[in-house]
Amino acid sequence: MWTYEKTLQYPVKIKNPNPKLASLIVSQLGGPDGELAASMRYLNQRYAMPWGEVTGILTDVGTEELAHLEMVAAILYQLTRNVSEEEISKTPFAPYFVDHTTGIYPVAASGVPFDMKYVGIKGDVITDLNEDLAADATIS
Amino acid sequence: MNQHNHSNCFREREKLRAINFAIQETVLYLDAYPCHPEALCYYHALIEEREKLLAGYQKNCGPMTMYGNKSRDSWDWVKGPWPWEPEAN
Repeated sequence: MWTYEKTLQYPVKIKNPNPKLASLIVSQLGGPDGELAASMRYLNQRYAMPWGEVTGILTDVGTEELAHLEMVAAILYQLTRNVSEEEISKTPFAPYFVDHTTGIYPVAASGVPFDMKYVGIKGDVITDLNEDLAADATIS
Repeated sequence: MNQHNHSNCFREREKLRAINFAIQETVLYLDAYPCHPEALCYYHALIEEREKLLAGYQKNCGPMTMYGNKSRDSWDWVKGPWPWEPEAN
C-alpha cells in the first residue's frame, strides 16, 4: 500500500505561465518515456523478481517515480495557470486544451494518450531488467 | 495548529525534503548492498533526524500524511496550499 506525503519531492514555483512549453513537457507525464510509464514499469515488474534486493529497488524506484509524476503535473498545472483562452489558442497547447482544458491528462507530446504499450513486463527477470536498462537510458 | 507562518513552514518543509532525499538515496543503496554496516548506520542517523523534523513540522504546520493530523478539534489535512500550488513552494 502507499501513503501520500503532502509535499513535492522538490519545489515547483513557476513565475511565467507558458502553455507552449506545457505542450512539450506533458510527454514527461504520459509519453512513452514519461513518469507514469516508469512507475507502472517498475511497480508491476516486482512480482516476478526472485531476489529481495531487486524487488526492493523496483518498489522504491517505482514509488519515487510517482513523486516525479506529481512534480511534472505541478509544472504543467503552473505553466497553464491564469492563461486566457485566446492566448492558449495561439499556442501548440490548443489541441490539448480542446479536450482537457487545463486539466492534467497523461498524454504524449504527439497527443497520444498514455498507453501501457510503452511498457514491457514479461515475468522474466533478465527480460524485464533489460527493459529497465532501455527505459532508464532515456529519461527517468 | 499553532500560528506558524507560511515561510517558516516552507523552511521546515525544505529541511524535510533534504533529509528525505538523503534517505531515499541511502535506501536505494541499501537495497542493492544490504550488508553494508556504514550505510545502515548512516540510514539510522538520518531516520532519527527525520523523526525529529517531522514531529516539529506536524505540530506547527499541519499533517504531512493522513496519520499526522495532530489537532483534536480541526481537520487540517484538507487545508491548503496543496503541494502543487505555487504558494506551497
